Amino acid sequence: MSAPLLRVDDLEVQFFTEDGVVRAVDGISFDVREGELVGLVGESGAGKSVAVSAIMRLVESPGRIVGGCIEFKGETLIEVERDDDGEPYRTDATIPDGELRERIRGREIAIIFQDPMESLNPVFTVGGQLREFIELNRDLSEREARETAVQMLREVGIPEAAARYDDYPHQFSGGMRQRVLIAMALACEPSLIIADEPTTALDVTVEAQILDLVDELQERYDTSFVWVTHDMGVVAEICDRVNVMYLGEIVEQAPVDDLFYDTQHPYTEALLDSVPRPDETVEELNPIKGVMPEAINPPAGCRFHTRCPDAREACKTTNPDCRDVTDGVTEHRAACIKHDAFETAYEGSPPLETGAGGGFDVSLSGGESDD
Amino acid sequence: MTERASSVSDGADTASFGEPLVELRNVSKYFANEEGLFSWLSFDRDADGLPVETGREWVRAVEDVSFTIRKGETLGLVGESGCGKSTLARTILRLLEPTEGSIYFKGTDLADLSGERLRNTRKDIQMIFQDPQSSLDPRMKVGKIVEEPMQAHGMLNSEDRAARAQELLEKVGLDPQHYNRYPHAFSGGQRQRINLARALSVNPDFIVCDEPVSALDVSIQAQVLNTMRDLQQEFGLTYLFIAHDLSVIRHISDRVAVMYLGQLVELADKRELFENPTHPYTQALLDSIPVPDPRADGHRGVLEGDVPSPIDPPSGCRFRTRCPELIAPAEYDLTDGEWECVRSFVRHVKRRDFTETDPDTLRERFFDGSLPGGGAGVLLSDAIADIAADDWEAASERLLSGFAEQSVCAREEPDYEVEPEQGTDRHTVACHLCRDGQD
Repeated sequence: MSAPLLRVDDLEVQFFTEDGVVRAVDGISFDVREGELVGLVGESGAGKSVAVSAIMRLVESPGRIVGGCIEFKGETLIEVERDDDGEPYRTDATIPDGELRERIRGREIAIIFQDPMESLNPVFTVGGQLREFIELNRDLSEREARETAVQMLREVGIPEAAARYDDYPHQFSGGMRQRVLIAMALACEPSLIIADEPTTALDVTVEAQILDLVDELQERYDTSFVWVTHDMGVVAEICDRVNVMYLGEIVEQAPVDDLFYDTQHPYTEALLDSVPRPDETVEELNPIKGVMPEAINPPAGCRFHTRCPDAREACKTTNPDCRDVTDGVTEHRAACIKHDAFETAYEGSPPLETGAGGGFDVSLSGGESDD
Repeated sequence: MTERASSVSDGADTASFGEPLVELRNVSKYFANEEGLFSWLSFDRDADGLPVETGREWVRAVEDVSFTIRKGETLGLVGESGCGKSTLARTILRLLEPTEGSIYFKGTDLADLSGERLRNTRKDIQMIFQDPQSSLDPRMKVGKIVEEPMQAHGMLNSEDRAARAQELLEKVGLDPQHYNRYPHAFSGGQRQRINLARALSVNPDFIVCDEPVSALDVSIQAQVLNTMRDLQQEFGLTYLFIAHDLSVIRHISDRVAVMYLGQLVELADKRELFENPTHPYTQALLDSIPVPDPRADGHRGVLEGDVPSPIDPPSGCRFRTRCPELIAPAEYDLTDGEWECVRSFVRHVKRRDFTETDPDTLRERFFDGSLPGGGAGVLLSDAIADIAADDWEAASERLLSGFAEQSVCAREEPDYEVEPEQGTDRHTVACHLCRDGQD
């Protein structure tokens, strides 16, 4: 298999807040191969969005990338190491800011955000914004860029593209605005598109249209995607491989079919159990106990042990890495010590008492720190 | 507390389980579409006399909706954003006055009530809002929040109110010790539980839940849904449950109503609706949801375009402009295949999403080279001539008035009832495709 298009290795992002250091992303590694659609799934607060904004070095203060390395097409987008005092610094391999802006952002890697209204400037016309983007990034004349822009709008299914070119963003519906952003992302034919919950704010019928469009465009342009979502349904529909995140860590990494049919991590399993199904009636839902603890003060050991139905005493002390747990042909990683790949004392260790109201205490200890 | 609670509600109770508790008859709600002081004035230079016209545009948010909610059941109300779900909910609560129609609660018309009697009835109808953040006063302690409705309705003395608030907190799955905390110390799911406790405090019969779980993460959603269901059984509550998420609706409802652009398009027992969806819009909604199963056969994106504006909704069936099963006008004798081609052509011309204008190319692309015969063919070749002359407006106008507007879907408002396949509940469908089963 060829070298991955994007490789994220041991990425760490921390937010230095007044209340302490929030370890939003805590040592995650994943890669994206050419033409692949890779999902990043988890509940709110899992660190999905922070992880993808780190790829483009868009983490804003007080956030900082404090460790890890991101490589794209053999170039180092960022590499952070720690000096003797433990202070993180960027290594020389990291490409400079100007170059990242000019060569990579928009041209090689594009990003689509959740809220299309906030990503479009309300005082400029839709067409004008798209044209400017194409003009700058593809070195075309204004007239050529305009033609390309209309062509792109038509491509993503905007009706009467030529006439609507001069409309302002507020004259477009939510679904159409998201189409414009997709057009903008595709305009420079980038190799990778990062999509951060692009369909979450849309109605189901519109979401289905957009997913169809992405499928179709991916086939035509062979673009790779990193798709951030919380919706297991969307994951099942479009992803090739999936990374499940919990509290800043990747807990399971597998091809989509294996993830649903050969689930290896208790969190993924619990997540799948708690989703109501549109295609069958489920009498009783099995919710995950409690809420996700805060990343400012994560539980020791495995971070999921406070809510995990399979937790044992040993889980309180060991924080497992995400390693290959099946001997199948395809790689299937999970961070849970119940698997044989981890040589720990799980088998002999007594089960932990979780659940039975305990979940609420967990969250409230987080609430108390506010007082 | 439970005994005391039930004794309070028993006194006023008249409807028994399964009887209609809430009944809507032809309810409509219009809003005046005005921005600014003189928006109702418009200038028209060509007019006779004064070049000024007065006239308001009306947003027809809810139009002619009738259904009943039986005591003890959960009626799910589903639809996309902007279809009027929330307006309908607020109208039922009489937070908004219906423009037309009447709403009966336990047999009394709510519109007839005012003053003290309306206040007393409000006690029996409560609401839970979508955003758990903004529906709780951040400066009030949780205990006070739960007690406030009781205080407003003069229930119990302050000591008993505090005791009841604590019991309710426990009932909804919170720690009674949290009585003295502020809302900010709670997560979204817990705040929604506080909302539940507040709604329950005055012993309502009926709770309108407006997207109560859409702002929550899936795992938390499941917790809150389960709690709501338990509470319903314990207190004999009736819910009107509004959501855009069909999976949630499928989980919690007994019967489901589907709304589109201010009107009900289908109403049936939950099993019937999900197993035997009859309205093309319901089918499209069901097909659009991503199924959390990678092996499920992909079948989605069946709808094109956007929801039309409720200011000037389409005539007849409001869904017809996006309907994949629009019925062919009776006066043209078209085969299904021909009608399919015609509709595709009309759609593309309307969206103007192709650039060819040459008549032969168009005939080849949309009709395999040969146009249908009769009046339809004449109409089509006229339209193709319009396009060749680069007059897209005229082509589009010609096609729409010649085909789409002639269909029965555009001429009559549909309203039919079909034989249910599952269960015995009535299954109403607003679609002309069902007209054969009628009479």
